Amino acid sequence: MPPILEIDRVVKRFGGVAAVNGVSLALEPGRIYGLIGPNGSGKTTLFNCITGVDQCDEGEIRFKGRSIERLPPHRIFHLGLGRTFQVIRVFPELTALENLLVVTTSDYAVARRRAHELLALVKLERLAGEFAGNLSYGQQKLVEFIRVLMTDPEMILLDEPAAGVNRTLLNELLDAVRRLRDQGKTVLLVEHDMKVVMGLCETVFVLDHGEKLAEGAPGVIQADERVIEAYFGR
Amino acid sequence: MKRALLAGLAVVLVALALYPMQATGYGVRTMLQLFMWVALAQSWNLISGLTGYVSFGHVAFFGMGAYTAGILIGKLGWAWPAACLAGGVMAMVLALVIGWPCLRLKGPYFAIAMLGLNEVLRVIVSYYEGLTGGGNGLSLPTLHASVPIYYAMGLVALAVTALTYLIITSRFGLRLMTIREDEVAAEAMGIDAFRHKLYAFLLSAVGPGVVGGLAARDQGYIEPLSVFPLIMTITMIVMVLFGGKGTIWGPVLGAVVLFVFQELVWARFIYLHQLFFGAIIVAVVLLMPRGILGVLQQKYNLPRTI
Repeated sequence: MPPILEIDRVVKRFGGVAAVNGVSLALEPGRIYGLIGPNGSGKTTLFNCITGVDQCDEGEIRFKGRSIERLPPHRIFHLGLGRTFQVIRVFPELTALENLLVVTTSDYAVARRRAHELLALVKLERLAGEFAGNLSYGQQKLVEFIRVLMTDPEMILLDEPAAGVNRTLLNELLDAVRRLRDQGKTVLLVEHDMKVVMGLCETVFVLDHGEKLAEGAPGVIQADERVIEAYFGR
Repeated sequence: MKRALLAGLAVVLVALALYPMQATGYGVRTMLQLFMWVALAQSWNLISGLTGYVSFGHVAFFGMGAYTAGILIGKLGWAWPAACLAGGVMAMVLALVIGWPCLRLKGPYFAIAMLGLNEVLRVIVSYYEGLTGGGNGLSLPTLHASVPIYYAMGLVALAVTALTYLIITSRFGLRLMTIREDEVAAEAMGIDAFRHKLYAFLLSAVGPGVVGGLAARDQGYIEPLSVFPLIMTITMIVMVLFGGKGTIWGPVLGAVVLFVFQELVWARFIYLHQLFFGAIIVAVVLLMPRGILGVLQQKYNLPRTI
């Protein structure tokens, strides 16, 4: 199957530092991918380049065969590539429901129905009218997660979905991610929790100092000496 | 609750419509100024209250409207209603020229550009004497039209408030608020922030443009210092912050309360009222950053329509 997302020798510099330095990845549709690496290895920067929040300096990014590295974030989103953020970025003075409604351009009634479905899915229906800023950390995380699903994107980037989330909630989130995969969606997640990565992802990419260090099935990656060295030192 | 509010609103509107029939000339002109402030505050709220992009030079649109109408009436003999509408159009053109480059950028550039815009316009108007009369000002032919201008001003205030209602109760309005809340996240969620900001900015310019024209016609004489004063922008800002930014009725409330206060108290203490303004800004920012209506909305969990 042709890849849904291709990252081709992407470079992103901040001043003299190459945060991402010639990374190439290819992701096939309908699979869950993990992106791991020590702090500062370039994971979030790569996410930002893919979603248009940052513009890469070199290289090409293709989504469904189309170059997207020069498109603004809102265009990339409407092509079917959604994301969540490492630090929660709900709209605090909009209600949970409004946080979802602003995302779609579809008919208002359709959008409302979809929003209520998604709220029910994560059991937040009764908090629909509450300001997102008043919700708990975990609830905000859920709102951010379902917000990206409003437009039914083909691919979803999740930046540390497990961080700060309790076990029960985490398991629900992971189940939701698997269900998305079963519906044919592609998921790429950055995660520090190795249990989550190893239990969920089918392929794992490892970044270190802005370069791709390794790529493979979770079991292979776990045994890779270079990866162990990158995390724990020699 | 909603029905009572609507009924109250209807009573107020009818009373205001009948008011000129038995009011003094002074009364009509005072109310006309109140309408002007409602329209100005409400317009500022559209761009700055909703998107968070603070316009420090909104009076530039007022001045643009005043001079457009002034020149059309004084030099070309246009009828004042058409000239005032032209003032609104020209204000929108100005907003397009400024907004197109400045609103592409995130952050404080827009605020600074707007502060500069007002000063630049004032200098330009002073310089082109042939057209504007320069520092000597521009006199309009005498016309006693306070009552028609009263209705026109009231209509603009009502129209801008109705527009605000439509916007805040729509997804367009919610999207404007997402820009205020978190512009990066808004864009990542598919919202074209630049386009939304620009539309809001254009809509926020038209009211002040028309109102500027009406004020020029009402006063019969304009000069650069009287139509481009920074204090007018500050007054709009204080009214909105006081009443509740990003709400429908906050700017109306702020305009009414502060205007009445100004008429009753500050007129007797000419120099103190600027100090008072400063004190209100500090108090509002520190004690109730959401303004009166914002506080009430949150405390009693009121819908956005109130």
